[in-house]
Amino acid sequence: MRSSSFYASYQTQHQAKGKAKARLMPLRIAHRRSAAPKTKDRRTRATTTRREARREAAAGRCSSSGLPRSGSSTPMESSPTRSSSSSLSLPPSPSDRQGRLTTTQLEQLRVEQEVYGIYRLFHGVAPHTRSFMVELWRDKHIEFLARGLKQLGPSYHVLDANRPWLCYWIIHSITLMGESVNSELEDNVVQFLSHCEDKNGGYGGGPGQMPHLATTYAAVNTLITLGSEMSLSSIHRENMLKFLLQMKDSSGAFRMHNGGEIDVRACYTAISVASILNVLDDELVTDLGNYILSCQTYEGGIAGEPGSEAHGGYTFCGLATMILINEVDKLDLPSLVDWVASRQGVECGFQGRVNKLVDGCYSFWQGGVLALAQRLLPIVHKQLESSFISGVQASAECKKSCNFTAGETGQDENLCRAGTSHPDNEGEKLSDFGFSSIGRQTECGPLFHSIALQQYILLCSQVLEGGFRDKPGKQRDFYHSCYCLSGLSVSQYSWSKDDGEPPLTSAVLGPYTNLLEPVHPLYNVVLHKYYKSHEFFSTL
Amino acid sequence: MHGRPRKDPRPKDDAAKAAHLRELQAQLLHNHRNRTYTKEALASCSKLLEINPEVYTAWNYRKLALQQDLDGVTGPDAVKSAIEDELRIVEIALRTNPKSYAAWYHRKWVLGRRLMPVEFEREFRLLDLLLNMDQRNFHGWNYRRFVAKLKNVPEEEELKFTKKMIDINFSNYSAWHNRSALLSHLLKKKSQGFDSKKNTLTEEYELVHDALFTDQSDQSGWFYHLWLLDRTVCLDYPQLISSWPTHKSDLILSKSNKIDGCQLFPSSNSSSFSLLHTGTFPIILYFDKAVKNIDSSTVTVSSVFVTNEDLNWRPLSTNNSGEACCWVTFLTVPEENCSSSTSYPVEVCLDRYKDIVSSDVSDCKNPSKFTFTVTFRSHSLEQTSKESVKENVVWSYVDQCNPQESSCLLSFDQLSINEDHAEEGFKWNLQTLSNEIELFREFNDEDSKFVKLTLARLLVAHDLMVPNGSHNQIKTHSGEVLTLYDDLMKLDPSHKRYYEDEQSVVLMDQLTSDKDSLTKHFWQFDEPTSSSFHHQYCLRLNELSLTRIGSVKNILWVQMLDLSHNKLRSVEGLEALQLLACLSLGNNQISSFTALEPLKPLSSLRVLDVSFNMIGAHAIDTTRYLCSSPLSHTLDAKQLDVGYEKENTEVRDHWEVASLFRALRLTQLDIKGNTVLNEKFSALAIELLPSLKWLDGKRVR
Repeated sequence: MRSSSFYASYQTQHQAKGKAKARLMPLRIAHRRSAAPKTKDRRTRATTTRREARREAAAGRCSSSGLPRSGSSTPMESSPTRSSSSSLSLPPSPSDRQGRLTTTQLEQLRVEQEVYGIYRLFHGVAPHTRSFMVELWRDKHIEFLARGLKQLGPSYHVLDANRPWLCYWIIHSITLMGESVNSELEDNVVQFLSHCEDKNGGYGGGPGQMPHLATTYAAVNTLITLGSEMSLSSIHRENMLKFLLQMKDSSGAFRMHNGGEIDVRACYTAISVASILNVLDDELVTDLGNYILSCQTYEGGIAGEPGSEAHGGYTFCGLATMILINEVDKLDLPSLVDWVASRQGVECGFQGRVNKLVDGCYSFWQGGVLALAQRLLPIVHKQLESSFISGVQASAECKKSCNFTAGETGQDENLCRAGTSHPDNEGEKLSDFGFSSIGRQTECGPLFHSIALQQYILLCSQVLEGGFRDKPGKQRDFYHSCYCLSGLSVSQYSWSKDDGEPPLTSAVLGPYTNLLEPVHPLYNVVLHKYYKSHEFFSTL
Repeated sequence: MHGRPRKDPRPKDDAAKAAHLRELQAQLLHNHRNRTYTKEALASCSKLLEINPEVYTAWNYRKLALQQDLDGVTGPDAVKSAIEDELRIVEIALRTNPKSYAAWYHRKWVLGRRLMPVEFEREFRLLDLLLNMDQRNFHGWNYRRFVAKLKNVPEEEELKFTKKMIDINFSNYSAWHNRSALLSHLLKKKSQGFDSKKNTLTEEYELVHDALFTDQSDQSGWFYHLWLLDRTVCLDYPQLISSWPTHKSDLILSKSNKIDGCQLFPSSNSSSFSLLHTGTFPIILYFDKAVKNIDSSTVTVSSVFVTNEDLNWRPLSTNNSGEACCWVTFLTVPEENCSSSTSYPVEVCLDRYKDIVSSDVSDCKNPSKFTFTVTFRSHSLEQTSKESVKENVVWSYVDQCNPQESSCLLSFDQLSINEDHAEEGFKWNLQTLSNEIELFREFNDEDSKFVKLTLARLLVAHDLMVPNGSHNQIKTHSGEVLTLYDDLMKLDPSHKRYYEDEQSVVLMDQLTSDKDSLTKHFWQFDEPTSSSFHHQYCLRLNELSLTRIGSVKNILWVQMLDLSHNKLRSVEGLEALQLLACLSLGNNQISSFTALEPLKPLSSLRVLDVSFNMIGAHAIDTTRYLCSSPLSHTLDAKQLDVGYEKENTEVRDHWEVASLFRALRLTQLDIKGNTVLNEKFSALAIELLPSLKWLDGKRVR
């Protein structure tokens, strides 16, 4: 792997942080695979008889220790039904050495071999070729993306209920590369999205479809990314608030749509939209933090719904939501950061869940979490400082001084719409937390290996014909293009002290022309577009 | 959001297909708007969903249609057939996209209405099918939990299912995770067959070993093993593992009205202690894990000095969570009415364990209590005390402490509260840990970092569980653990700092765990340098390469501590040393004043040496990450002085310094050899520390 010393510094820095607390358990350090091929070799020459016995035992699915087990737990018999099509994943035959590996391990090995093959090639070539290999093929990407906006391939028909998503994935990607769509196309998109907007608020997956939180999020982010006055003013904010309130469940969480499912994704999209449009209020926030908290698992990450396992996408959604509603202190952040940081594996990219394969889109979901975590600390610092400097008036009331407040007391007064249920937040409007989370210095370097991630995105996810993919061997698509590029941007700026400040050349893998526009990591819209919209909506 | 774009497995004539789809979509929207729920309309809707299950509008349309249909029809057969249709369409849709949120939810909605008895066989068959296609499909796992709940399937049955899935593929982390969730719940409820944590966990260990030793590089098993280890060492209730004063000790107090510093240095008699300036002495409780709600209702202190209700307990931690391992209260001793010949008994009793744990606990433990006596010594310290203020403490020593002399210094009368009822419970845990240790030792011949790390964790866990007071019978494993971490640092240099931290904790525990090793670290101060420290003993833990502080449970009584020449980056843990008067942290790697925040609660600290550290060397203050929860890391604004900081811009630049120094009552500070030091800073330090007499060896007041 490239720049291994750098890798070391990141790892150690991170681990020291997470573990400084004197705790023995639970230890959530990642069980990274050590170099896999080596391990396999060792496995073959292993001679310990006990190990053989164990391996046999595991392969033969019987008790290994000789201790009797309860008969009822005999595998394969206890299952109520055994589908005929289960042959797909029957345990592999033990006679075959490779067959001793589980399907999961076989797939993992295949991916590792493929990725290592690419990296070996990369390191074997002359330096100028190497630089060429990690170049971002802007023209090709733009071509691929722009074509998608005009005419979609038929394989995208399944996205008919997600057309605002297509707009967002494509336009956000184009904007990340510093380009913009022409005004005619822009008009078309604004018009199209207006057709998707429900008369009672919110956006549907297409004209005439009922409003849905995910497509609402995509539509709003698209319109903000387009950024023209027409585009921004096309959003009906009052109706939007009504729609969002309609989607609010009595539990505090949100439903995706009327009669739809409740999960963390719904919570994030609702709150992100409300925050960016400056309509976030106490009613939307009530009990939400506790719902998100109930989804954080003992692993550290956040699950889609209570009881499920931690997942990269939901971890992003959950953390971003908590920051936006100023309740991030409820989460167990050290274990969350531990879990996410440990999802970056030997392939250099991120996996979405424990023991899953690497996937380019998690460059943003997991990378974005770490970018957010990186920003949390200076805010605390700032808050401590301001509570010290601006005196003690806060201390009288401040029972919960861990507030995530910006502390820019001067400008707060006129913005203040004092929420009675949040006495602690007095002086800061709920919608402001998205704004105050950026624009100030980050004090530390990235919490993940940012160069390695860029290497995975550029060498393994990038498709030379344009577009990005999950991993080598997969097809490119707009979803992965959007989130690989977003992840690339996040990692390029991860060493910048100020949000949006151009990074040093050493922070950008490949030629400096690879540098993308910075994003606002809470909403995933390009930063200067966000500023523009913030100005627009904060005066409304 | 993820996994949406899914290729159609059998591409046909694309253009025709797209047109067909558009047609279906238009029909749906039309029917939806006009509330047409005819057979044909529904059939067209089904076709659409078959091709594209993500059209959530269509699912909602079907919900409305079903509702209307059911309003119209009577008779179970009609209802059955209507529902049958819905379930079939969901199945078809899931075949197209097994990750369709909308399709899964529609099925839940239909079944959740319980319009007819659910055919559970069929649901489980469907689940088997889908989880066979993708064993990690979280929609499938979520749906399984839903169905199991709907049917009231005992969790025991679901546990068997996870076993089945693990047998098919032991790398399936979703199955392991579901298993851990189910087991946690079953153990908590103490369901039949799970009322014994012992038996259950023993079986689980067997199960996970199969996975671990089949392929040591597979992530899933290790995660589960960690969870098991956590369950094994995690007792249901917190334990009081140390206190000051210790059980059955005799505390001799020197009464004095003198204010500040002078009387605080320990006298040669170990068990004697000079009163604080406020006429108080502390009682420190040290638990094995963070507890909350320690107050006069959960802890009863019986003494003649003070009524229990007046006691104010304070958590000692750097965050504001209200939880801490270590709690302190100060007992005020009345000025006059104590005779010097009587010893006054004090009893501390923790009677309501239930209220001080964070998790809900079914086991209520018998109360633990400890007692000690207090005697007053009226003749107090004499003239020397006055001089000590003027004396600049120099950290130099004549000799190691003479063991005979030091013997009285150390009191290892540990609390004997657990020996009766708890030890029985420990037996299994210890035995399990021993078995695991034995097993992992056998596999330690290879260079597997997972095996080594797990073995190290097991050994540490084992040593922690060994009952107090019996440390002589059971050999501790510190040496072995230290070697393991040495190996790990070589084997896996990218996690070196983590291993260093873990090693420091073990090392510190080893050094302070018994009298013999501790005695070796006792040094007598060099007499000529300081007459007031004649016969003073200092605990020297230097040149040990410590990177952080481990358990201080055995050194709560320490008043002088020398930690110089280590590699300390954090001093978290020292906040428990409430009696500490002199502390040297010279020649370490402390990089900011924030890192010294654990010292803030040390009200008796007078002499602090932080010379030759790295304070100010880095613009970036990474220490903020070192606290357990960065966001609850807070500043007590009440301690700050209003109006003071406004006029002083220097404070504004060094507000962290101000916040630290304000909390301390230092008489001596050594800070040379740090980048932050300059003339301005010295002036600021003098200003912020009104009691300061010595700064870097120079008399300032």
